[in-house]
Amino acid sequence: MKAVNSFNEKARFITMLGILAGLVAGSNLVMSAQADIPELTGYWSFGQCAGGRFSGCMTLEENDPKLTERARAYQAAIDELAQPKYDCAPMPIPHMYTDPYSFRLEQLEDRVLVYYGKDDVVRTIWLEGHGHPTPAINEFFYFGYAQGRYENGALVVTTDRFTFDPQGLNADFRIPSSTQKQLFERFSRDGDDLVLEVSTTDTFFLKEPWEFTIRSTPVTDMGDAWTCELDGARRSLRFEISKYPNDPEAERIDYR
Amino acid sequence: MNLFKRFTLFLASAAFLIPQVFAHHSTRGIYDDDLVMELTGTVKEWAFVNPHPYLTLSAEDENGVLRDWDISYGGAAVVHLTRQGYRSDTFKPGDIITVHGNPALKQGVYGLLMEGGNNHPTREDGTPVVAGGSMF
Repeated sequence: MKAVNSFNEKARFITMLGILAGLVAGSNLVMSAQADIPELTGYWSFGQCAGGRFSGCMTLEENDPKLTERARAYQAAIDELAQPKYDCAPMPIPHMYTDPYSFRLEQLEDRVLVYYGKDDVVRTIWLEGHGHPTPAINEFFYFGYAQGRYENGALVVTTDRFTFDPQGLNADFRIPSSTQKQLFERFSRDGDDLVLEVSTTDTFFLKEPWEFTIRSTPVTDMGDAWTCELDGARRSLRFEISKYPNDPEAERIDYR
Repeated sequence: MNLFKRFTLFLASAAFLIPQVFAHHSTRGIYDDDLVMELTGTVKEWAFVNPHPYLTLSAEDENGVLRDWDISYGGAAVVHLTRQGYRSDTFKPGDIITVHGNPALKQGVYGLLMEGGNNHPTREDGTPVVAGGSMF
């Protein structure tokens, strides 16, 4: 009887050790996974080019050598009057980052939300591994379909399935984007700062990737956010000269 | 005293070229890059708002007719002008100021582009309305 008890005690002890080892190993895995997730939640100032205070690095210029002939032809054909921004259509991404408005990141278990201070835009980045359904073959989105994952201490995001957008690469210079536009973003921390690396491809309108890196600092709120209103958006239109004066004058719908 | 007499158009010279430091916002095709206008008038409205602050100046046109001129800072937002010293009370209705800028190309509308550099409006005594500096 005593021998049996002794055996049982040993077995229980070994089992306990196993469970303990398993718990330690498990918690290490959890800690490792948590260490891989950067703390991004918070309010961030609009980005400045890494290494300086200017925003020039992220502007796709009007005559940028990266533009294809197709892009230049589109620019030449379309006029400023026809741009959707005058109807409060939001700035596209990544052009949105060139505007001087703060933004907010919110990390949830299955997604990351990006709140932009311009045009009242909230963008959802769906984290991989949470069963979010992928879009149907015929589904396209103004801000695309964004999937993200945590990797080496950064949030890595790929966004595609954009609708064709007449201001999709640059809303100031009439540079469109196609349904082939892809956006790659990497959000990470460097001390107190948020570092965002951005690369955009679009085989129809860009000869090579359009890339930039910007740095944001923590701020307390969204500051002077502008959610867009038609009077403000359309204010400069009265100074625009139509490229097509023989066309009937274009009237805009008052959506209010 | 006619406060609106000073209306001058002259060819842009090196001294009056407005640096396009804020190239983010396209104003090409809206304003005459080759002309700089000096305009003196009375402030009617100062809207220190996003997306782009603007000033409405009551001043005579070249025919001596009083017009409301839209004085634009181009693509600058509130944050940019704040860095140069502008505030919501920088201009008050009734202030008499002088501005330099490129006039609008379109006929029948009255606008002036102030965009760029440290080309700021001046008060009656010739002092700039702000200290100036970088927008960035």
